[in-house]
Formats: sequence, structure tokens, C-alpha cells
Amino acid sequence: MRTVEELIELANTHLGTALAPADAAAELTELAEWDSVHLLRLIALLEQELGRPVPVDAVLQARSLRDIWAVAVGA
Amino acid sequence: MARAVGAPPVHVLGTGTALPGEPVGNDRLAHRLGLPSAWVETFIGTRTRHFAVDLDSGRVRWTLEDLCTDAADRALADAGAEPSEVAFIVLATATPDALMPTTAALLADRLGIEGAAAYQLQSGCSGAVQAFAVARALLAVSPSGLGLVVGGDVCSKHLDLGQDFHELPPGALVNYVLFGDGAGAAVVSGAPRGGARALLTHLEHRAAGFGVPPGQRVEWFGAADLRSGDGRRPAVTEDYKAVEHRVPVLARQLLDALLTAAGWRPETVDYLLPPQLSGRMTERITSELGQGFEWEPVSCVAETGNNGNALVFFQLDRLLPRLAPTQRALALAVESSKWIRAGFTVEAPQEASDA
Repeated sequence: MRTVEELIELANTHLGTALAPADAAAELTELAEWDSVHLLRLIALLEQELGRPVPVDAVLQARSLRDIWAVAVGA
Repeated sequence: MARAVGAPPVHVLGTGTALPGEPVGNDRLAHRLGLPSAWVETFIGTRTRHFAVDLDSGRVRWTLEDLCTDAADRALADAGAEPSEVAFIVLATATPDALMPTTAALLADRLGIEGAAAYQLQSGCSGAVQAFAVARALLAVSPSGLGLVVGGDVCSKHLDLGQDFHELPPGALVNYVLFGDGAGAAVVSGAPRGGARALLTHLEHRAAGFGVPPGQRVEWFGAADLRSGDGRRPAVTEDYKAVEHRVPVLARQLLDALLTAAGWRPETVDYLLPPQLSGRMTERITSELGQGFEWEPVSCVAETGNNGNALVFFQLDRLLPRLAPTQRALALAVESSKWIRAGFTVEAPQEASDA
């Protein structure tokens, strides 16, 4: 997974969200269809996609999809 | 009966509770479900819960009837009352062991109560208040009799421990970390009696979701449903977004309604028994409702998990030893099924003259 856009595509495909690339930098609390259960499901998806555990504590602190992506890929 | 202001109070003579087995912490639950424990801590905020089922083997260790029997035994002992004095039982649950016979009738047998009336309510988080309301109506006819009010749930009945949790829809997944099992009971009378621990004075329960879709749905499946494929739907689903949004609003409306009915100024209230959803949501609602007041919160959900019809009994069980003469409490419950708001005011019994 090289870009945050790929993470957004992953979420849209598996979580039923309709996030746009422009949502990458938005505060998660501002995203109408995003919530803590989506975050939980995304962690599992990322681990599956990357083939390794992601640092959950850091992901839980993330404030945007871009933050989540950066933590997940270790950018 | 939506509300009966001015009806005689319910005298609570004793309470008791029962939790199955050891507390299950987030690490153990999360490991069993393949979820990150930190997520449960951060977003749910419930630290422990108890399950009637053994998490490892899936074996059922306690029935609802077992838990209700333990809670009722303790309530009778707390009240210094004998089973033979009980004239009626009202039991509230969303998860009866069977549709028939009722758990209420089986409980009477287990307690050795012969010939009492045994009512059972199909209810959720507002069930305890509804059961107290039915008890009050029964006590109005026969004030000196004793009633046994019981509430409990075995939510783990719905935990399918064999499934892939990564595939579960969000509305079904949250239930695995929110709920727990347990039962509570209270012995009540309509007349003053020595040793009364508290009076439930103004009591209200009403449907508060006219035209609004249910926030929670619990299915039951018969043989025909299973054959037609209907039994493959998740048994419990929750619109947790709607719950997050509506419960604080309904709790506020209920609080205002109870204060008005009782004619209490908010600063004269000592304790708040807030709705018990999850550790985190209850904390949020408590701080929003109590802003500007020194109400001491009485909660249990962070330790017991959301055990539905038992919650209010656990809160009462924690309140009564602390309730000093002249003190007051407000109990609020919101059921997100078809949106029911239910609560009561609690007053310490007056000294000797009333006892």
C-alpha cells in the first residue's frame, strides 16, 4: 500500500463507505459515515493487506485517514 | 400506564444481585474475539463483564433462572423476609431461558414460593422500572403484601463464539464487547415497614420514539424461520449511531420530567443513577447531565458490562448502603429498542415515625 488513496479504496471496498480522496486529511470526527467500529474493521483489513500487525495504540490516536495510513505503513 | 404521579411510593426493603463466574477483562475478551484490546478500552470503556457461558468451551454454566434465584435469595435475606411472605413476582428480561414456562414461574418454584402470582415482562434496559411500575400497581391493591421485583439477562446466549469476527457487520460486532450477564432483585412493599431502605416515589416510563425506527432488535427464531433461512440473520443488531445520538437526549428529557413531577430543585439531589450503556457512554452522559451540580454518580456498567434488565438493580444495590436520611436520588434508564425512557425518584425513608 503506497498511498493514502489506496487505503481509502480499501475502506470503500470492504467497509461500505463512500470516502473520497479529499477526505484523507479531514478530522475523523468530521467524516459523517466514519466511526470507531469502522476504525476497528480497518485495523483488521490493514493487517491482512500488509501481512503484519499495525501499531494499534498509535492508530487509535490518529486524527485523520492520512495519519492512519502513515502509522500503518510506518511512513 | 405512562405515568402515575401521586401514586403511593414503593418501599424497597432489600436488594440483591448475582453475576456469573469470574470477571472477564478486555485482554481476555479481545484475545478470544481476535480484536485489539486497546480498541475496547478506548471506545467502549467497559473494563470487565461476566458471562454465563464459558468463553473457552462455550459450555453454558448458568441459566437466567439460576442467576435470578441467587439475586432473589440475596434480596430476601437483605430484607429479612421469608419466601412465604411473597405475594407476587414481577420479572423483566429480554433473554428468558425459554418462551414457556416463564422464568418468573420457575423462579417461584426455586424459591419455594407456592401460589404467588408470577408476571414476566419482555423488556430491555427499561425493564426494571417497568417491573417496579407493575409492582406499584399490584401493591396499590394489597399494600401490606410483599412483592419480589426481578430483572436479569443472559446476553451471552447470543454470542456465537465460532464465527469470524472480521466478517461481522458493525451493528452486530459491537454487541460482543458491550454486553454481559447478570440478575438483580428487590423486595418491595406498599406500606411502611421496619427496615425499609428506600422509597421509590415518582416513577415514569413511556415510549419516546414515535415514528422513529428501533435502535436495537433482538430476534427469536422458530423451526420454520430456520428452515426458510431467516435464522441466518444476526440475532442481535444495534443502530449504535442512533443510540449514541438519542440516548443522551432522552436521558435529559427524563431527568427534567422527573424533577418536575417530584417538585425537586436539581441542587437538592444527592445521587444520579444514569443510563448504563457502556463505560464510556455512561461517563459522557453523566458528565453532561451533572454539569453544575454535585450529584454523586452511581454506575455499574464498567464492571458488570451491559446486563440489560439487571442494571438498575445493580445501581440500587450500590446506592442503598450510601443513602443517608433525607438524601435523594434520580434513576434514569433508556431502552433503545423502540426508545423507552424510564426512571424514578428515590428518597431515604423517614426515620422511626415511618418505619
